[in-house]
Amino acid sequence: MHARLSPPRSFLRGIPITIWLLALVLGPLALTFLMSFYSTDGMLIIRRFTLASYARFFTDPLYFSILVKSMALALVIAVLAILTAYPLAYLVSFRLRRGKQLLFMLAIIPLWVSYLVRIIAWRTILGNKGVLNSFLLAVGVIREPLSFLLYNRFAVAITLTYICIPFVFIPVFTALEKIPRNLQEAAGDLGAGELRTFLNVVLPLSLPGLVTGFIFAFIIALGDYIIPLQLGGTQGIMFGNLIWSQFGFAFNWPLGAALGFILFGISVAILALTSRFGTTEGGFLSE
Amino acid sequence: MGEELAIELRGVKKAFDEVVAVHRFDAGIRKGEFFSLLGPSGCGKTTTLRMIAGLEEPSEGEILLEGREVSRVPAHKRNVHTVFQDYALFPHMDARRNIWFPLKMQGVSLAEAGERIRRVLRLVSMEGFERRLPQQLSGGQRQRIALARSLVDSPAALLLDEPLGALDFKLRVAMQKVLKDIQQGVGITFIYVTHDQTEALTMSDRIAVMKGGHVHQIGTPDEIYNTPATAFVASFIGDMNFLRGRLSAREGPTCTVEVEGETIRAGRCPPQVKPGEEVLLGVRTERVQVNPFRATEHTVCGTVRRIVYRGTDFEATCSFGAQEIRSVVNAVNWDPKLRQGERVAIGFAAADISLFPRTQESEIIQYSTEAV
Repeated sequence: MHARLSPPRSFLRGIPITIWLLALVLGPLALTFLMSFYSTDGMLIIRRFTLASYARFFTDPLYFSILVKSMALALVIAVLAILTAYPLAYLVSFRLRRGKQLLFMLAIIPLWVSYLVRIIAWRTILGNKGVLNSFLLAVGVIREPLSFLLYNRFAVAITLTYICIPFVFIPVFTALEKIPRNLQEAAGDLGAGELRTFLNVVLPLSLPGLVTGFIFAFIIALGDYIIPLQLGGTQGIMFGNLIWSQFGFAFNWPLGAALGFILFGISVAILALTSRFGTTEGGFLSE
Repeated sequence: MGEELAIELRGVKKAFDEVVAVHRFDAGIRKGEFFSLLGPSGCGKTTTLRMIAGLEEPSEGEILLEGREVSRVPAHKRNVHTVFQDYALFPHMDARRNIWFPLKMQGVSLAEAGERIRRVLRLVSMEGFERRLPQQLSGGQRQRIALARSLVDSPAALLLDEPLGALDFKLRVAMQKVLKDIQQGVGITFIYVTHDQTEALTMSDRIAVMKGGHVHQIGTPDEIYNTPATAFVASFIGDMNFLRGRLSAREGPTCTVEVEGETIRAGRCPPQVKPGEEVLLGVRTERVQVNPFRATEHTVCGTVRRIVYRGTDFEATCSFGAQEIRSVVNAVNWDPKLRQGERVAIGFAAADISLFPRTQESEIIQYSTEAV
């Protein structure tokens, strides 16, 4: 009897989440998608189908070159974030016996602090009279404050890497925690030292987490516009800033929507490519 | 030949903080021997195995591997392999690559290792499974692949940590034979950890019986079963009656004991017990006869309290004075007319009696019913 009743019941239970998804995710996305096929005339949006915005992206070399630069920067940031977060996650997961939870919390605590506050914090670190310069001056390493620290791509990369670290740390740590410890013992028992155990067993088995972390970092870095705006100066402008400005003072929503969808397409493509890779290599982890 | 030692433990001790897991383990394990560490959980058998493997460092003592002191040598530099209870196969490698792993660590390429992998797969009857991932294999098959992986580079010894524990009963019995055949085939020393006395008795050349970190006895299955060194060993292995009595006299290797007003002669007597002291008298249930056809050395009278049918045999519990004595009789020899409450003669021989100091009574493992 119960079995007969359950399908409609589970169907009913699915309704709220469906409505939620439609109203808050798919709906706005669809509206933006529509928007990308409109055009503007002064302050008016003309609701007639046109590919003009997309055509502009492909014909104006400015957009494409900034997109390529942004992707390159996002790649660097994702790699830096992995290089920082992976060893940290490995140490916490494999080397620590006590205080694991505490260190895990410490690693993700930056997420509790407002995004803007953290950006301003980096400005106070990297600025001309910032923490870093003051320290280096006081110690006597430098005579004059370093000016290359702020308002360029370097500042964007450093700050975005910092922002991305928890997003890489969490999936990597989770993947490492899921690796049965006796596999490490078995590898040692069969003749592998720590490095070879890491390369042959731990790294491949943590690959799904690594891929997830990479995707997170890459997509966050690629789409960000606040950090380039605050710390990037003119050199640090990223694709996100272009989109943002279309919705802001340029008042070209259709172009902004089109650029947004191009970025969205790239993100989806990367997600599709890497997630396939991530699941086949470590498919057992999703059991 | 045969006397050369593969592994030697000299006063090996392991303590975790304050808790001592293994007290002074001394043993010499011969080349090609099937040596079991037997005991209840928490007896220190796995810790001992892990110390031999190099996964734990002994707190005291020495471990010699083929004559070389290795107690401070890390696991990956020891020429022994462990077969883990849950196999610990690498889930991202197929069977072939799992088996290749120890060879790969020695710099052998997959192509070069091909013939050795094939040979060891044939040994464990797993040809044709080369490309399967561990999750595509059944428990018994994983077991065989784990075994193949540990055998492929012909280690000095194979350490097996309850390797059949996760398998169901029928498969376990089948795998016992497979393991024993493989061990005899390759001639590699096996050190086998188990809590299953039947497994240890049927497979081993020698057994070390452990409890609470102490080695109670090291001996052949026959010695362990028929001349148990302590009451614990006697109770842990097989089915043993224990009767309380008092040592009345020693006569050379034998002695006499007073039990429930009867004077019983015992074939063996522990040296530490003096006349007048309380003892435990142990006799195997299958050595106790009810209404024996032929006269036995000792015959006492009792009343049948309970009869339990167990398929292949019957268990009769009889009163003997204020104590009880159980007799297990093969169903073929069972007298079907025997009833509860009947007066019977209970017979056993002096040679079947083991004596233990009364102080060991607390070590006796009580079986509520026969454990399967």
